[in-house]
Amino acid sequence: MSTAELLTLENTAVVLDSTCDPPDGWLDQPGLYMVPLKVHFGDQMFRDGVDMTYREFFAKLAETDILPTTSQPTVGEFLAVYEEARAKYDHVFSLHISGEMSGTVRAAEQAAEQVGNVYVYDLRTVTAALALGAERLRARLEKGCTLEEAHAYVRHYRDNGRLLIHAATLEYLRRGGRIGRAASLVGGVFDIKPLICAEDGVLTGYAKVRGLKKALAAMERFIDEHSKPDDEIWFCTIDAINEEEPPLIRELIERIRPNAHWVFQGHVAAVVGTHIGPGTSAFAMIVE
Amino acid sequence: MIVRTAAVSVIQSALTAVEKERQFINDLNVYPVPDGDTGTNLALTARAVVEELEQSEVSDIPSVAAAVTKGSLMGARGNSGVILSQIVRGICEVWGQANSLDTAVFKRAVLEGQHAAYRAVKTPVEGTMLTVIREMATAAQAVPDGLGLEHLLAAVEEAGRVAVENTTSQLPALQKAGVVDAGGYGLLVLFRGLAAGIEDLMRGGKIAAGARLATRGFGAAVKTRLQPPERRVVVEEPSELSEFRYCTSFLISGERIDREGFEAFLLPIGESALVVGDERTVKVHVHVNDPGVVLSEALKHGAISDVEINDMHAQTRERDERLSSGPPMPALGEGGCVVVAVVAGDGNRKLFRDLGCHAIVDGGQSMNPSAAQLLEAVEALGAEEVVILPNNGNVILTAEQAAGMSPLHIAVVPSRSIPSGLAAMVAYDPGEDAVGNARAMQDAIADVRYAEVTHAVRDSELDGLEVKKGQAMGIVDGRLVAAADDIEGAFGGVLEEFARGGAEYVTVLTALNGSSGTTREQLEAIAATTAPDAEVSFHEGGQPLYPILASAE
Repeated sequence: MSTAELLTLENTAVVLDSTCDPPDGWLDQPGLYMVPLKVHFGDQMFRDGVDMTYREFFAKLAETDILPTTSQPTVGEFLAVYEEARAKYDHVFSLHISGEMSGTVRAAEQAAEQVGNVYVYDLRTVTAALALGAERLRARLEKGCTLEEAHAYVRHYRDNGRLLIHAATLEYLRRGGRIGRAASLVGGVFDIKPLICAEDGVLTGYAKVRGLKKALAAMERFIDEHSKPDDEIWFCTIDAINEEEPPLIRELIERIRPNAHWVFQGHVAAVVGTHIGPGTSAFAMIVE
Repeated sequence: MIVRTAAVSVIQSALTAVEKERQFINDLNVYPVPDGDTGTNLALTARAVVEELEQSEVSDIPSVAAAVTKGSLMGARGNSGVILSQIVRGICEVWGQANSLDTAVFKRAVLEGQHAAYRAVKTPVEGTMLTVIREMATAAQAVPDGLGLEHLLAAVEEAGRVAVENTTSQLPALQKAGVVDAGGYGLLVLFRGLAAGIEDLMRGGKIAAGARLATRGFGAAVKTRLQPPERRVVVEEPSELSEFRYCTSFLISGERIDREGFEAFLLPIGESALVVGDERTVKVHVHVNDPGVVLSEALKHGAISDVEINDMHAQTRERDERLSSGPPMPALGEGGCVVVAVVAGDGNRKLFRDLGCHAIVDGGQSMNPSAAQLLEAVEALGAEEVVILPNNGNVILTAEQAAGMSPLHIAVVPSRSIPSGLAAMVAYDPGEDAVGNARAMQDAIADVRYAEVTHAVRDSELDGLEVKKGQAMGIVDGRLVAAADDIEGAFGGVLEEFARGGAEYVTVLTALNGSSGTTREQLEAIAATTAPDAEVSFHEGGQPLYPILASAE
């Protein structure tokens, strides 16, 4: 490979796992692959985002008493996808949920050792923050960039991407043991909906608030802490069956950051939904 | 003189021992009523003896023994305290008459202590401190008179230990709770302290023992046994409330008081009746629902004094609160702090618990807790960093007094209402110290307005508004803003006032099970029309006196 070689959408693929909670239809684009994690309702097993839409999942969650559990993809499943991608593409960026939250990225790394030109990244975050990172990488590929520029961007996103979740309850996270220092937060009681952010690869409490106005005020503070008013920002809104809040979050960010670009709205699918519960909203952002 | 000093040091040693385990003994207390005060009662009874001795000037054994008897009788608190006073009385009678103390005397004394205790209780129950004193007295009789006092003390202590362990299987209430009897254990703790005190005196040659203290480390053995056990009592579900609510005790002073007659009066109207003393001074203890009737009857026998009435239902709830598994306590030395709140109402208590509050002291309007009660709740937690939420304007000063009395780091957040206290709890961070939490909590409530809706108890004019008796009043930040014929009207007035102030988030704590017939649905409809821009959240608070408490942020 010469240093002059340009990576493009035609020669570079992006592989994600199903915790990237993408917008409807987004994964249908050429050059995008998704390896599903699995959701188990008792004896029943579903491939996340494949056998079940997020709407079907939350409908099932509401009507069953069974607490779903989740499991990561196998090395073999990653290997199959990598081989399929490499058959058509020269390079593969494989971007994944934080290794602190799931073993998925370790399975991906093992599979990548057996295939050339597959670059596995632990993005230290979760949900559509992963899809946003992939989308912004693809924006560079669309124009054409060097391999080093592509790596540099993924590292920039990993180190500077932000995720803030307005969780309807912490019950699911706590039950699943997926919460770090946020464990001391009370969620759900007394109408408290905590704000939690991804930090060092784990979900951490950011603020405890009651009421949407206070939540939005806390989000504004979070954005102020992580960007300047004239920064160029790309962001996505995210929801788990919550139609009310994402438009308000978008309005807030576009109001306080004139150079903000809304990319899309991700929908929390089954695996993240199992841990985060319905009624949650969130946003992910990156300053570029 | 030397006898009195010696007695003070021995009884002080017993008092210190029971003080050390006071809270644990309180926690053990489930029988006859789980009111969690046995340790406190025993300690106060023992302290009364020390105080009586310290202020008297008697010097010979008979006078000292009489003073001890008098102090324990006058100071006796609660069921266990009164029974203890009778054990003490029996022991002192023998000791005073013998005018000396050796193995033979002590054997007779402890036996007479047992008899006096049994005489005081109309229907003795096994598995209580009665069983324990009996086993101790029985073991004492088996020790030959010629052996040294230390052998006797060791034998009695060992018999007491076994007897205490057996109480669990003797009483169903103890078995269910998985504890030993509080009174029995307290008696053992007192005895261990007493034995350690006597041993100290023997070693110093200050009392004539039947034999010199043996060289084996008997005293050390007693002292290691004084270490509090590593056990912890946990209450999983609410305790049953006693049939009789008020623990009532007082002294009657008169001439030829008819103790038996008074006891016969108490038996049909209450439980755990104890009428002890002589014909001039009588201590009465009983659990009843109407203490007034008891006091009126007592007046026929003489003058009454030292009246103490405890609401055992409140005590039971407090014990349950204290011992429920609750939020995890931060480990000492790892930073972090705990929260103690003054709260009324079952729903409100649950909200505070759910938000991570560690201890709740019953109280609020018209039932303010004392600084001592607050301090007791604080100290029971065993944490160094504490935040107190008084949740009432009248309790703030008390809380500050409590903070001033304690060596712990206690920060008082001046919350003036229960909903303000809840707003403060939302800001609570268990990992932060007391000062940091107090600052964050104070910030959280700085702009919180609070309101209450209640009924006027008389006609009056307040803040330019006329209120008739029985009308509903809406009060915001202590100022009357609405007077209406029903709760809905007053609530509407409160919400209007909130809306004028630009309220974004309104919390409503209801207690609507009164006669008014107001429903939550009605209140929600009022909120939707009166404060359409605010999010309004309703919770069942269950507080007394106020059908509605509210706050606006």
